[in-house]
Amino acid sequence: MGGVLPASSGGALSRPMRLVRLVLFSDYLVLALTVLYVAALWFAVPEIISPTNLNDIFLQVLPLFVAAMGLMMVLLVAQIDLSATSIMAMSCVVGASIMTSQGGYLAGHALAPVAAVLAIVAIGLLIGVLNGVCTIVFDIPSFLVTLVTMMFFSGAAIWYTAAHTNSGSSIGALPSSFLAIGYGGIAGIPYAALITVGLAIIVHLMLTRTVFGRWVRAVGLNPSAAAISGVPVKRVVIGCFALSGLFAAFAAVIYTARLEAGTPILGQRILLDVIGAAVIGGVSLFGGKGSVIGVLIGVLFLSAVDNGLQLLGLSLSSVYAIKGGVILLAAVVDAIRHHLLARG
Amino acid sequence: MSDLLLKVAGLNKSFFGVQVLRDVGLELRRGTVLGLVGENGSGKSTTMNILGGVLTKDSGRVELAGEEVQPASSRDALALGIAFIHQELSLFPNLSVEENIFLDHFPKRGAGIPFIDRRRLRDQASKALELVDLKVSPTTPVMRLPQGERQLIEIAKALTRQARLIIFDEPTTSLTARETERLFEIIGRLRAQGISVIYISHILQDVMRLSDDIAVLRDGEVVGAGRREDFTVERLVTLMVGRSIDRLFPEREPSQGPGGAALSVRGLSQPGVVKDVSFELRRGEVLGVSGLMGSGRSELARILFGLDPYSEGEVRVAGERLPPLKPRLAMDRGLAFLTEDRRGEGLMMEASIADNIVLPSLVERSRGFIGWLDPTGLEEAARDMAERVRVNARAIDTAAARTLSGGNQQKVVIAKWLLRAPSIFILDEPTRGIDVGAKYEVYKIINTMVAGGAAILFISSEIEELIGMADRIMVMGRGEIRGFFERASFDRETLMSAALWQ
Amino acid sequence: MTITRREFSASVLAAAAAGTMPGAARAAEGGKTIALMFDAFDSDFWITGNTILKAKAKENGWTTLETISNRDQNKQNDQVKAMVERKVDGIIFIPTDNNAAIPAIRTANAANIPIIFFNRPPAPNDNKYVAIQADNRKIMQTTVTILVDLARKQGGKYKACLLMGDLGDNNAVQRRDGALDILDKNKDLVEVVSRVATEWNADKTFAGLTNAIQANPDINMLISPSDSEDTIIEQVLKTAGKWHKTGEDGHVMFAGFDGDQNGYRLLSTKYMDVNGVQNLFYEVDLAYGAFKDIWAGKQPDKMLIDPGFAISQATLESKRDDMWGYHVWKEKNK
Repeated sequence: MGGVLPASSGGALSRPMRLVRLVLFSDYLVLALTVLYVAALWFAVPEIISPTNLNDIFLQVLPLFVAAMGLMMVLLVAQIDLSATSIMAMSCVVGASIMTSQGGYLAGHALAPVAAVLAIVAIGLLIGVLNGVCTIVFDIPSFLVTLVTMMFFSGAAIWYTAAHTNSGSSIGALPSSFLAIGYGGIAGIPYAALITVGLAIIVHLMLTRTVFGRWVRAVGLNPSAAAISGVPVKRVVIGCFALSGLFAAFAAVIYTARLEAGTPILGQRILLDVIGAAVIGGVSLFGGKGSVIGVLIGVLFLSAVDNGLQLLGLSLSSVYAIKGGVILLAAVVDAIRHHLLARG
Repeated sequence: MSDLLLKVAGLNKSFFGVQVLRDVGLELRRGTVLGLVGENGSGKSTTMNILGGVLTKDSGRVELAGEEVQPASSRDALALGIAFIHQELSLFPNLSVEENIFLDHFPKRGAGIPFIDRRRLRDQASKALELVDLKVSPTTPVMRLPQGERQLIEIAKALTRQARLIIFDEPTTSLTARETERLFEIIGRLRAQGISVIYISHILQDVMRLSDDIAVLRDGEVVGAGRREDFTVERLVTLMVGRSIDRLFPEREPSQGPGGAALSVRGLSQPGVVKDVSFELRRGEVLGVSGLMGSGRSELARILFGLDPYSEGEVRVAGERLPPLKPRLAMDRGLAFLTEDRRGEGLMMEASIADNIVLPSLVERSRGFIGWLDPTGLEEAARDMAERVRVNARAIDTAAARTLSGGNQQKVVIAKWLLRAPSIFILDEPTRGIDVGAKYEVYKIINTMVAGGAAILFISSEIEELIGMADRIMVMGRGEIRGFFERASFDRETLMSAALWQ
Repeated sequence: MTITRREFSASVLAAAAAGTMPGAARAAEGGKTIALMFDAFDSDFWITGNTILKAKAKENGWTTLETISNRDQNKQNDQVKAMVERKVDGIIFIPTDNNAAIPAIRTANAANIPIIFFNRPPAPNDNKYVAIQADNRKIMQTTVTILVDLARKQGGKYKACLLMGDLGDNNAVQRRDGALDILDKNKDLVEVVSRVATEWNADKTFAGLTNAIQANPDINMLISPSDSEDTIIEQVLKTAGKWHKTGEDGHVMFAGFDGDQNGYRLLSTKYMDVNGVQNLFYEVDLAYGAFKDIWAGKQPDKMLIDPGFAISQATLESKRDDMWGYHVWKEKNK
């Protein structure tokens, strides 16, 4: 019988080599790198490990984490969603226009924030479904579909804002009951954190403990085999796009509450952070691989890098070089690890 | 000059402390064919990879025409005159035939001039194609050629490099019967020209037919070698598996009279694919489907399972009509489908064995509207099933399907369907590319299912297999049914001619 | 000055990453540390502003920390938190969005750190901040007054084309109004025959001005709200055969605005007659003065105005040192 090669492949390795291997092959490699980075910066800026700063990092992570989880869903089925940040922009300006006290559609109404949040979520869901349907039904590569929706809705958001304000740059003066999502909390835990943790648990359970989650992975790993095994491949893919839109909208709610304004350039700059966090967190661009924990670690890594550089307050030219260098280093370590894993 | 071209002695090789070759010795005479057989993992590929320069040996001696050689790369090996024609061909589909043949040694316009001499390229390519009896233009892109012709191009490529020894590794897996015939003819011609051939195959009949000498490997050792006349298929099998298998096929109680119809097909047609196909598959029956590649047998299976459309006719399962294009509905009526493309459609190669096994059964094993799953329960079910079909793996929850041998992968595909306890199982080439021992086990599983009342549609291009396993055989050709044969009238020649009859 | 561990490590990090260490934190013992928080460096104005801010901070013996948000207001608000964590003594803030910058003010207020908006005021709110703002209308009034005076001296009647920028932008509205304030008082001398909304867009400026000259070939006065359009104007006037120096026949009276390097170049080559300039040096002094006031316990006004100035060919020599574009020009023409 053609058996499997025994697992004792590391038999002849010395102890330090084993330790290196252990760290390299761990699922928490990126977390280890994050800790290493923070430790390195601790010499330069001791503030990096102060409780308030760690709290700041924690709060910064939340919306990015939510958006990255959404992106993970489409990456899991080997698709991409470039429109996530435009969904944030579009949904947040519409939401803000409903509840702003400066001429909002429901200005002053007690339920205005509820209506606004519902509108934000509905817009996210709709654009997500639109992406999914165009990708699946018309068989256009999702890169192209979402590139188009990205451009369209980023433009539409700017137009919508201009049509609803004088200054044209953003819609502010949001009701305090909505802003509470960004500032308020129960027992010292911010609502934004509660929402994020709740969403993370739901996604984690969905991926590991439900039929849909298993289907998502199956479609990402081998759509033909999935179809033959009775998986409704098209519906699963559309569902993943819808979830990506939905999560972008949730992220938009948190961002908007924090910024106290709906702005059409919300998130315009964070698309790469969202994709980068997911990929650094171990989500494969080729489908089927990724976990909530991984994405969380990826987001933490990026946020820690950013935060460290902000604390340094270095001259602007060097910041990008360092950030790029750190991310490149992480990518190289990851590539080495895959190379070693492939060799057994 | 001795008659011996290749002499391998005392070859040892180990990976990570596991010895995969033990003291392997082989001899190959000039202008002869050496058949090399053994189960997967027996060391055939490792030995050949050492000869072909892909791997290096730990110890031992390889002599080519009396001189010790040590090829360090496939380029080295080629320079020595050793060409290796792999199972997966290494041609570039978007390049032309001539470009593929001369890819690494284009004829130049002169020494040191980096321009390709197009005319010489064409002349030499045409000559090489003549040698392998292939009548295509040298400028045809390779992607337009069928598998069999691509293989001939690999051979032509080897011949232009003045190969003295050509190694074929499972060359017929993706060839039609006619292409296989042509390949054998070419091998005969190579032999006549004094070129030596090592021929590796699971199809023992082919090995018996082609070889002058045969060597059998088991667990990294040569367990039998000699002239072809000293072997029979039965003896080869015994040597390969290390135990005596009285027959290639396990005994089965013949079906106790025809059961009721499990699947009935009436006038099924789809232009260009199948035409007016009607048959009945009964409970407790194995219906073999024979036919050449492109005869419509695999296409029929896909239509039955709801993967492809049909324009006319109907498919009934236990009397009820099955709507097209819904694998899920077919599954709900008790159908299961093992596809011929194990890697492409059968398995998620990167997923664990357990994940593969439970995939088709998730809905049935979930609770509530949101489809809640119990991972422990699923894993137990998968483990039970893996044990039942005897998947040989260390950890079914972590080992990826990719790490398994072909036979074990096929058992995983079978296990994933058995978990649904199907009443109708469509098997498309279930034993393709797996070794004798695994085949035997697949046959046993089929027999157990049939004994339990399941109906099996067994599609195969190996006629011996159908003769050994089926209660009835349906022969297809050009999308039509050419005839049904009862067990009593099974006969290789009759079946072949029915398939070939125009 | 002794080097602390922190500076040493920061320098090494910076040097290792960027190969240079242009502005690594160099904390002066006992000196103040301020944060310069930019959103993007997409024009000479901000690059020059950054240079002046850093230079004047150094004169005061202060250390500067810098951040750039790349137009991500959320990130910039996070950067404010990081600066609060670094316990800076003051923040110079150039936000992207006037509404979404308000949470940053609150963060600074909570930490009792003065925050000064530099040339981009926030939406009106009740928190504590100072905004430095150029008085666009006033500067434009001064500029057009000089232009009209020159025209009157030269004699004759004038037909003017008024370029207006993007009227969705408050700055553009202020500049238009400033120009009209003066032109309306001098209707006997100047008739505004054409108004072009350029939307700060080169193509629109080109098309709009070309059409205006075709409709009114006798245009002989031009008022532009931004020097960023100077090169386009030069091109259009050349094509129309109207590009002549002051004093030459067919010269178009030309007022520019911004005081950038093109403004200086055209003034010094005598194609432009007058330019309205934001006094960046004065604005930096205003901002730093406000810091000192606040540190001393005095709260300055919420809005500090830079009255700016107008510079003409006659006053070029005497006033150019206050014109930021001159320094850019000098740097590039060394």
